[in-house]
Amino acid sequence: MAADAVFVVIPAYNEGQAIEAVVGRLRSTCENIIVVDDGSDDATAAVAARAGATVLRHVINRGQGAALQTGIEFALSQGAQCIVTFDADGQHRVEDIAALIAPIQRGDADIVLGSRFLNSSAKSVPAGRRFTLRLAVWFSRIVNRIKVTDTHNGLRAFSRRAAQRIDLKLDRMAHASELLDQISESRLRYCEVPVQIHYTDYSQAKGQSALGAFRIVLHYILGKVLP
Amino acid sequence: MTLAQVIEPLGSAPSHAPVGFQIVALTILAVFLVLTITAGLFKKVTRGEAAFWGVVWIAAAVAIVRYDWTMVVARMLGIGRGADLLLYGSVGVMLVGFMMVYVRLRRLRREITLITRHLALNEAQRGPSFEKQKN
Repeated sequence: MAADAVFVVIPAYNEGQAIEAVVGRLRSTCENIIVVDDGSDDATAAVAARAGATVLRHVINRGQGAALQTGIEFALSQGAQCIVTFDADGQHRVEDIAALIAPIQRGDADIVLGSRFLNSSAKSVPAGRRFTLRLAVWFSRIVNRIKVTDTHNGLRAFSRRAAQRIDLKLDRMAHASELLDQISESRLRYCEVPVQIHYTDYSQAKGQSALGAFRIVLHYILGKVLP
Repeated sequence: MTLAQVIEPLGSAPSHAPVGFQIVALTILAVFLVLTITAGLFKKVTRGEAAFWGVVWIAAAVAIVRYDWTMVVARMLGIGRGADLLLYGSVGVMLVGFMMVYVRLRRLRREITLITRHLALNEAQRGPSFEKQKN
């Protein structure tokens, strides 16, 4: 797979502080970087464009799931053969992308999910976050009927075929569980690869609180039971 | 409880003339019913929704005119008083109403997202990487 067939999609909301460094690091290895500015109040879009990304702009905030779907659709329209999703707060490592897309390039998987719990870096996960993520793993085993070790890791890779089948309808953070549902239902081949999460005060402040996690579960359940 | 006890409150309609509350409430319900039928005919709501709300308005009107009948239903359900039946019924109807509004709100949000996405895709700013590809 040619390097220019890999597209990186970054959903961003008020990430003016971090997005320049994130795009800058990605540009050393990736040609096609798409930042979806999700109705930010700050200069996220301008900073990302200046850093060299292609910027799509939601005129109003619609949530991370909606921004990801927009970026994926745009990448597909540009002929992407492999799409990587990457968080805008700088917690992911560019070096992990190669391992992430390798199973797709080999034809072994349609979707590759990054997991922070498959290597020694799991110890760096803050205790509160680790507990919440463990609960999410059990939730996904029971509800989504899928066995993964990290359900809410934004670092993922999709083959073109998989990206065409995925349609995220839950606009906000519950899209991560919805994605697992769609993987399970569409019987796409998936695997996990170990990735490292770089926790900073900035990324932790942007993360979900326990109340946020509860809201995600509520949105997910309502999304399942209501039309 | 015997059948006679259940239907004992059924009798002729209360003989006194309609009071102010009944006139006002029946007028409002009549307006709601007309609006519901109109919305159903012009397909602003589904037939099922129109039928549901039509039944609710008619039942409310019946309960206002023949409030003694509510006692019969209340006894059958083991609630006791007709007034309590109306209270529980109102709460139930309100919950269904809230749910229908919420479902509509979700649909509206979905449509807003699709419009927002359409605008974003149409107005995509092309960065240097794509310029490079074109050359």
